[in-house]
Amino acid sequence: MLRRAHVLFLFCAALLAGALLACSFGLAELSASEQAAAERNLAIVVNQSNPVNELTMAELRRVFLGERGHWPNGRRITLVMLEPGWPERAAVLTSIYHMDEAEFNNHFLHGLFTGEVFVSPKTLSTPEGVRKFIFNVPGAIGYLRASDVDKTVKVIHIDERLPGDKGYKLHVPPREGK
Amino acid sequence: MGREKAGRKREAMPGTSTGPAQTWGRFSRYSSALLFFFTFCAVVVVGLFVIRDLRRADKDEQNMFTGSVLSLHRIAALEYQTQETRRSTLYALGTADSNLHVKYADQSREADHLVSEGIAAYLANARTRNELDIGSRLRRDWSTYLSVRDEVLASILEGSAKEAVDRDLTEGVASFDRVRQDLAEIELIYDQQAAQQLSNVDATSRRTILRVAGVLAITLVATIASVWTIQRMRMTGAIQLAKLQMEFVASVSHELRTPLAVISSAADNIADGLVREKDDLRKYGAAIQTQSRQMMELVDQILLFSATKDRAGHAAFRTLDVARIVDSVIHQTAGFVRASGFHIELEMEPALPSVRGDASGLARCLQNMIVNAVKYGGESRWIGVRAFLRHSHLRGRSEIQIAVRDRGIGIAKSELARVFEPFYRSPAVVGEQIHGTGLGLSLSKNIAEAMGGHLTVESELGSGSVFTLHLPIVGDPGSQAAEDPRVPSSS
Repeated sequence: MLRRAHVLFLFCAALLAGALLACSFGLAELSASEQAAAERNLAIVVNQSNPVNELTMAELRRVFLGERGHWPNGRRITLVMLEPGWPERAAVLTSIYHMDEAEFNNHFLHGLFTGEVFVSPKTLSTPEGVRKFIFNVPGAIGYLRASDVDKTVKVIHIDERLPGDKGYKLHVPPREGK
Repeated sequence: MGREKAGRKREAMPGTSTGPAQTWGRFSRYSSALLFFFTFCAVVVVGLFVIRDLRRADKDEQNMFTGSVLSLHRIAALEYQTQETRRSTLYALGTADSNLHVKYADQSREADHLVSEGIAAYLANARTRNELDIGSRLRRDWSTYLSVRDEVLASILEGSAKEAVDRDLTEGVASFDRVRQDLAEIELIYDQQAAQQLSNVDATSRRTILRVAGVLAITLVATIASVWTIQRMRMTGAIQLAKLQMEFVASVSHELRTPLAVISSAADNIADGLVREKDDLRKYGAAIQTQSRQMMELVDQILLFSATKDRAGHAAFRTLDVARIVDSVIHQTAGFVRASGFHIELEMEPALPSVRGDASGLARCLQNMIVNAVKYGGESRWIGVRAFLRHSHLRGRSEIQIAVRDRGIGIAKSELARVFEPFYRSPAVVGEQIHGTGLGLSLSKNIAEAMGGHLTVESELGSGSVFTLHLPIVGDPGSQAAEDPRVPSSS
């Protein structure tokens, strides 16, 4: 009788251990997949003090094109871009501007000259610089890979979706070597 | 012979000597010990004070360093970081590169973070109300400046340099000046604290020096005083001894000259043929014989004293029957006593126990006491001799006491302290031309002590004196006479 109880106990313990192992593998798998998704998603970020929490894609496009000069709280909008060559910039040009580099430059040269564009984009050399710039400037808006976002900046909803949400439209190719 | 009164105190310490040499020796010994003790105490006291002062000075210095100097360093660092915060912000104005803008903004924020930490540390260490007030004001002013700085930075990063400059001039400069003033006030407080603590250290140092100097001065003065006193005592003792010796020589010369004069005169008369009758010749012969015996007696006494002092005698102790010796001495001195017109009243307890000692020494001692009583017995012409057994509570033993009492001139209290000093003779006795050597009592005292006993005296000026010889009885544990070699044999 006692031996049977022992066998039963060992069997249950083995089952429990197996289940825990499977869960941990599963969680690790899930975490890895989330990290990969974060690498591929492009987040639109603003200063933490900015009252805006969401924009439609159309509003976002207006902001990025410089056609809108101020936020609802009166703060001047400052557009932050990465230098040419960054995949994030390429993704923004494709997904938001629907332009290439030359068209983008022409748009702002022409717009500033004619006064149709109110914002001249600030160009930074690294995503970290972008993040710090947005942290320091209350009216700044820019973009970062979701994996580069931290608590110093705020991610806003685009068409009511955040990076990682199903149907989110802004994506960026994975970094090289990843 | 000198006379003096030994009171009850004297009885309590019968073995103590009172001669100038002994007095000098005792004083020298005590004063040396006293000096050593005093110096030791002084060194210990000054050492304790110096240690305490050094510890206090060390603590003050530590307080000064941790509380003021270190804080001044911190405040200096704080000032530097505040400057760095502002400087980095202003650097950003000088460029249009957004990457540099971000870099300067980072530097400015790092510096302001250090400043905030420094202010928090200052507030945590603030002890006085004033420090807390200034610390709180600094934190508030710094916060105000930072909000301005953030706006200025934002304007710079946005590319609105003019707006940034305007804001900095209108708000930034003023708020930053307030911060600087707060820091200057804190620095002033620390400066004052440091100055106060430095002055404490200085005061402690001065006090220590004064204490050391004071104690050294006291020690020096005490040493000089002790040396001076010792030298003075030594000189006084030497002078006193020389005086006593001169008096002794004069006294002995006088004692020798008198019988010599009688002998010489008698011899001259016989030699010159002035005395021819047989009866006269017999008288002259008897006179010469008496005077010669007196001279021999005197010389014997001097030699005996010398032997006693030099401890040249040897012990010849045996068990003595005190009653027989007292009877014998009274019998031996009866002629002298009768010739002097005195009579002796003897009172002796029956069956007195025996004592250990030298028979001839004891007899000499009693003779001296009786002769003394005759010489200073005055007009009463009465001498009382009493022998009895008593228990001495002070010494915890039984002893035989032999008291020789007279109703004569007595001894002044001022002279009692010197009664047993060798060669000492009272000025009053010398003035009355009572002859003596000043050795009898000293000799008797030495003999008594050699037998484990002691000699005491009670006296009142004009009423008489009682000299008492105390001798431990045989078999009594308090007896210490057995091994003392000082009792000379007069045989």
